[in-house]
Amino acid sequence: MKAVVLLSAGLHPVSARPAPVPVEMQAIALARTLGAAAAGLHAGPGGPGVADALGHGLARIGHLPLARGADPLEALVNHLAAHPPELVLAGRCGQGGEDSGLLPYALAARLGWPLIADAVALEMQGPGVLAVRQALERGGRRTITVRLPAVVTVHPAAPAAAAFAWGQARRGVLEVLPVPSGFAGDAVPAPELRPYRPRPRLIRGAASGGSAADRLKAATESAAADGKLMVGPSPEEAAREILAHLRKLGLVPPRQPR
Amino acid sequence: MSRLRRDPRSEWQARRVPAAGSSATRLRYALGVEAIPATEVAVGPTGRPRRDPRTAVARLAVPGTARLRLDRSGLSRSVTGAGAVSAAPQEKLVIVEAPDFWVLALVEAPGGQPTPHDRQVLGAARLLAGPGAREGGGGVILVSAEPVTGAGRLGADRVVTLPVLAGDPVAAAEALAVLAGHFSARHLLAPESPLAGDLARRTAALLEESLFAEAELVSADQVARRRGAGRLEERRRPPRCLTIGLDRVAMHGGSLHEARELAFSASASTASASAGSILSIGPVERDAATVPLAEAEFVVSAGNGVTDFDLFRQLASALGGVPGASRVVCDAGLMPRDRQVGASGTVLTAAGYFALGIAGAPQHLQGIAGVEHVVAVNTDLHAKMIERASLAVVADAQAVMPALLALLEAGE
Repeated sequence: MKAVVLLSAGLHPVSARPAPVPVEMQAIALARTLGAAAAGLHAGPGGPGVADALGHGLARIGHLPLARGADPLEALVNHLAAHPPELVLAGRCGQGGEDSGLLPYALAARLGWPLIADAVALEMQGPGVLAVRQALERGGRRTITVRLPAVVTVHPAAPAAAAFAWGQARRGVLEVLPVPSGFAGDAVPAPELRPYRPRPRLIRGAASGGSAADRLKAATESAAADGKLMVGPSPEEAAREILAHLRKLGLVPPRQPR
Repeated sequence: MSRLRRDPRSEWQARRVPAAGSSATRLRYALGVEAIPATEVAVGPTGRPRRDPRTAVARLAVPGTARLRLDRSGLSRSVTGAGAVSAAPQEKLVIVEAPDFWVLALVEAPGGQPTPHDRQVLGAARLLAGPGAREGGGGVILVSAEPVTGAGRLGADRVVTLPVLAGDPVAAAEALAVLAGHFSARHLLAPESPLAGDLARRTAALLEESLFAEAELVSADQVARRRGAGRLEERRRPPRCLTIGLDRVAMHGGSLHEARELAFSASASTASASAGSILSIGPVERDAATVPLAEAEFVVSAGNGVTDFDLFRQLASALGGVPGASRVVCDAGLMPRDRQVGASGTVLTAAGYFALGIAGAPQHLQGIAGVEHVVAVNTDLHAKMIERASLAVVADAQAVMPALLALLEAGE
């Protein structure tokens, strides 16, 4: 099976030096669990961060050279349509560029392939059929079966990436691929950028236009004002009351009729 | 809006002393403090009248204020008395008939109940649309899979219910794209959560628009978000597709809006090339034993009052809760460190917390500050956890655990 891992020119969040994006390295590890012949694909300016992905388990990276700030979508669509793999893996979100996580969706829409988001495990279920374990909020998981080819994005809860191996990084090949002149991508208009300063998060439950007293109340008051107290009940009585209370709140599933 | 409105004329009328006999030509009014009612004056053991100062203060207290206010003139009582204008006039409903543009706000609202994040998305939509009922303003359309309670209070002018949103994300995104095209929506907003964020990205890809993901600042003419590995902030005019970060925009707290139901069928959507590729979508599973504590929905936690930890783990799995522990238990090596709840362990985002034998150290209570429902079992009546809990049981946790387990095993 042929899989392609999309690589982006990442930056380290602290030092701002070029560095591989962790979730993309996890995508490489997931591709290797399938026993797939995984290759990397990068459309962009390249750099040491992209080449480092070789050391995390890729034998080959194809590089579509584009100017910095150019939209990589057209070049990727053109390349993947000409050399279609069975599976395209991408990180959930880049790190160092626009970081919106939209590119895999736009790519899938253009290729007409299905997209499965937030994979934590992959398993082949037969020729051309892939079972994707998807991470949901609150630690939920579900399995989606999809017919290949498909685009799959990888969640940070996926198994850890393989450690960087120097020898593998030396042996790996970074191949520059041609980009036809019409597919170099338009430069995205430069947005207004400034250094990020963290903003405080809002206090939950306080409406806009409320007073400082409202915000203090929302921040300090616990929701359970009508607390019920049982002093020294028998264990059975206490258990019955606790269970009824938890069921009323929907925290414990209701009683199963026998 | 909710302030008491005084009518001085009726106040004077209420103080008027009824005319009696020859003095009928002259109007008489009773001024000053009313006489103390006879019920407040008790006769002491020596036969002398005794006043209860507490009842006197309670009688003078002005109702409806958070701070104690004493009114010795008796004016506020005459406001609430007969002849006074009714307080809190009827709230005006904002009706937007033909706005200049529409803002679509997608909410998840599981079971029809809007989450705090959903409320914030509607607050952001209201900011982008303007207050409504004004020239050049927009209207907010709330889009959800099932009817949402209290949509008008959240600031929605129209409500569209699309059951297709709950199912296959491909069909849901197509329905949303058709809806956005039908209303020529200027903005499409969604919460930045796993499912709604996925849907927003699919829709943006179908509309061939860029996505302003996880906006941190929203106003009518500017939005801001974090990008560039978290080191840069991008600012621009509000684009068409946005997702709103959690706890970034305040919920709508002003006018009551109409929330008129709109019938819209998504049958006009076209089947995309990838529609038949998804073969099956399995049910959502939550294995409580492996869920990280920070993501857990319901945590069952053990403290120093628990000695039998095998029984505790059985109970946690029978209740379907994620096991947690206090610092004392983790220090003793009875539970792993990654199960510790509190300031030095994990700060929970759970909806429910069941504390067994935990007294509630301040550091532990910090860890459950965001939890809405707490149930506590502890032998100490004066423990802080008993005070914090919505259901508090003063009993031995070690005795309650087998009783609960027996009830669950009996299928009750």
